[in-house]
Amino acid sequence: MRKILIVGAGQSGLQLALTLREHDYDVTVMSARSPEEIRRGRVMSTQAMFHSALQSERDHGLNLWEADTVRIEGLGLSIAGPDGGRALDWFAPLDHYAQSVDQRVKMAGWAELFEERGGKLILHGVTTADLNGLVDLYDLVVVAAGKGELVGLFDRDAARSPYTVPQRALSLAYVHGLAPRPEHPTAPGVRFNIIPGVGELFMIPAYTLSGNCDILFFEGIPGGPLDCWDDHPKPAEHLRRILDLIERFLPWEYERCAKVELTDDHATLAGGYTPVVRRPVGNLPAGGAVLGMADVVVANDPITGQGSNNAAKCATSYLASILEHGDKPFDQEWMQATFDRYWASAHDVTVWTNALLQPPPPHVQQILGAAQANPAVARRFVNGFDDPSDFQDWFLDPEKAAAYLATA
Amino acid sequence: MSEDSAQNGRPKRGPRSKRIRPYALTGGRTRARHHLLVETLVSVPSYDPTLSETLMPESKALYERARGQLSIAELSVMLSIPLGVVRVLISDLAAQGAILIHPTAHTYHHDRNMLERILSGLRELPV
Ligand SMILES: Cc1cc2nc3c(=O)[nH]c(=O)nc-3n(C[C@H](O)[C@H](O)[C@H](O)COP(=O)(O)OP(=O)(O)OC[C@H]3O[C@@H](n4cnc5c(N)ncnc54)[C@H](O)[C@@H]3O)c2cc1C
Repeated sequence: MRKILIVGAGQSGLQLALTLREHDYDVTVMSARSPEEIRRGRVMSTQAMFHSALQSERDHGLNLWEADTVRIEGLGLSIAGPDGGRALDWFAPLDHYAQSVDQRVKMAGWAELFEERGGKLILHGVTTADLNGLVDLYDLVVVAAGKGELVGLFDRDAARSPYTVPQRALSLAYVHGLAPRPEHPTAPGVRFNIIPGVGELFMIPAYTLSGNCDILFFEGIPGGPLDCWDDHPKPAEHLRRILDLIERFLPWEYERCAKVELTDDHATLAGGYTPVVRRPVGNLPAGGAVLGMADVVVANDPITGQGSNNAAKCATSYLASILEHGDKPFDQEWMQATFDRYWASAHDVTVWTNALLQPPPPHVQQILGAAQANPAVARRFVNGFDDPSDFQDWFLDPEKAAAYLATA
Repeated sequence: MSEDSAQNGRPKRGPRSKRIRPYALTGGRTRARHHLLVETLVSVPSYDPTLSETLMPESKALYERARGQLSIAELSVMLSIPLGVVRVLISDLAAQGAILIHPTAHTYHHDRNMLERILSGLRELPV
């Protein structure tokens, strides 16, 4: 039986581990935290996932919370105007619903499921020295440790990484009690609010430890008024500050917030990171090679809500590459090819996400404006979140955008 | 983004059976099985020289050393094997029933010698 070690119990590592267990592989996962510690810990993401990523979980019976989790039926866009009003305001349905299951719930549950399915879960914050000693004990070592320190093993790919500093200051709170948007009270949706020159507010329906909730998630342009979290406020103050900012910049969303309260004591998060693409093969000081996965190798800003989706797609792609490789050695050439296959789709997500971090060019403004009057345009934009490769064919290119809008 | 520190406040389980079969365990029972704290003590319940011969060098070294009861930290320091490697190898040995994982240190809080040994093991750990 081939032995595979996966470092990191997140979306990509656990999904790969669980799906490998359906085949004849001896799989060990090393996790910095126990399932109970993950559950009792701080929120980590907003983890909204769209249809194809959710389907990749369903295909393997990993959608344990699907029935209980609120369905995200569409995506709405509002752009704040100068007078406290809205320059744009529309909502379009997704062809298939999206969902967000708090990673505290999902990763803790998946780690336990992995053990139940015969996987070995070792609790340990892995170091490079550990990897030096472990790499010879396994046929393959996959590093799926997110944005943790082990990324240092993987060189930054400068040609694919346009940014050298964080592009947004991130801040969020999980809340109960948010009122629905009056325009679509029975169709829960992600609301994407743009404050030009300042940042964005996402409102994301989700499922957490205490049931369904909403996540208030600010992405602030560095140095601007939303970049105000360096003092690490306590949870209650954190929420108050988020609400004050909503009241100041997005009064129509503030109206929904009258009754909100934090879901729990660990329901807030603030921070930021630089979007980066890394080389997939990590060379250890003692000579071994390890394969990087998901955020370790492609970490985009969450502005397009794609990281978990990418992690799921990476797990699917890596699984196929592992299975197809049979008994042959998992050498560096195979590692590079395995990443390249994943990158074929991750590339499109990365280009689109990096573009959305910039002020919208005229053709994007035209598209978003056209979507206000033309539901077909809105629908195409919204459903691109499930399949971002479509954006290349219109959204990212001024000429293609003009050609599409002329016929839409 | 921020990461909670690992290893704190883990619930400790009561006595466990000596033989642990891999792949045959479910849910709650497995969960505490591999929670090897640095102070967790291990020993060899019945030494088997034939088994020892079949083990890989590092597992063999751990198996031999653990004939006297030792903590995970002590094993890591004595054998200069990184803590993560010790945890992986010990949990594999435990899964074969070759090594016994003892209930964790707070059970010994009246035993001063034991606590001192555990502490000195911790101090020597290369972190
Ligand atoms: C604020 C925010 C909002 C987001 N919103 C969305 C969204 O709406 N939609 C979306 O799709 N994506 C979103 N993302 C991105 C998404 O959360 C990540 O891209 C995704 O979780 C990456 O999965 P992963 O498996 O690569 O890593 P992770 O899920 O980060 O898992 C890595 C795991 O490895 C562990 N680990 C780290 N170092 C070590 C070590 N040395 N030893 C052992 N274990 C280790 C960590 O504790 C963690 O459990 C968001 C991210 C942030 C920060």
